[in-house]
Amino acid sequence: MASSKLQALWNHPAGPKTIHFWAPTFKWGITVANVADFTKPPEKLSYPQQIAVTCTGIIWSRYSLVVKPKNWNLFSVNVAMAGTGLYQLSRKIWHDQNPESQEVVA
Amino acid sequence: MAAFRTFWNSPVGPKTTHFWGPIANFSFVIAGVADTQKPPDMISGNMTAVMCGYSGLFMRFAWVVQPRNYLLMACHASNETVQLYQLSRLASAHGYLPKKEEPAKK
Repeated sequence: MASSKLQALWNHPAGPKTIHFWAPTFKWGITVANVADFTKPPEKLSYPQQIAVTCTGIIWSRYSLVVKPKNWNLFSVNVAMAGTGLYQLSRKIWHDQNPESQEVVA
Repeated sequence: MAAFRTFWNSPVGPKTTHFWGPIANFSFVIAGVADTQKPPDMISGNMTAVMCGYSGLFMRFAWVVQPRNYLLMACHASNETVQLYQLSRLASAHGYLPKKEEPAKK
């Protein structure tokens, strides 16, 4: 029955009554913020920050599977973070490797 | 020597992801500290504000997760501090914070 499935989710040890739900859910904000920054010019991107986002995403994808309770929400958010970090890094690296794109300086 | 051995073999020690997850998250702190030396127009308001919320929530997460993770908690306390500082630099650059005295030089 649908209601018992919903109840199971509601009462899950990593469910919405716990920090195990809300901390990862809020962490999606990092990915959303990074996606919003896709339109930022690459000169304004920060290498340290994007490397941090990428490496954290990769390592935490593993961490989220070995803590108790096992946390698929945390896993998915870190996979997404690593993805956006890699994209931002590729944008900035491409920009830095292609000097002809930098001829207009404000 | 015994203390090192205890640390080395700890269930949250360097042979486990419970150690490396938080170490990876320290990259946010390092990136944040590196970015304090850059001009405020490079600060991403989106990302910094999200980091403040994220580290606040994850301090709680680190406390209640199994196994309890003090290193993670310390990491997020540090990140909260540096991100709040960056947010204050951004706010100040946009004129949101009152200046204590008249600027001596422009």
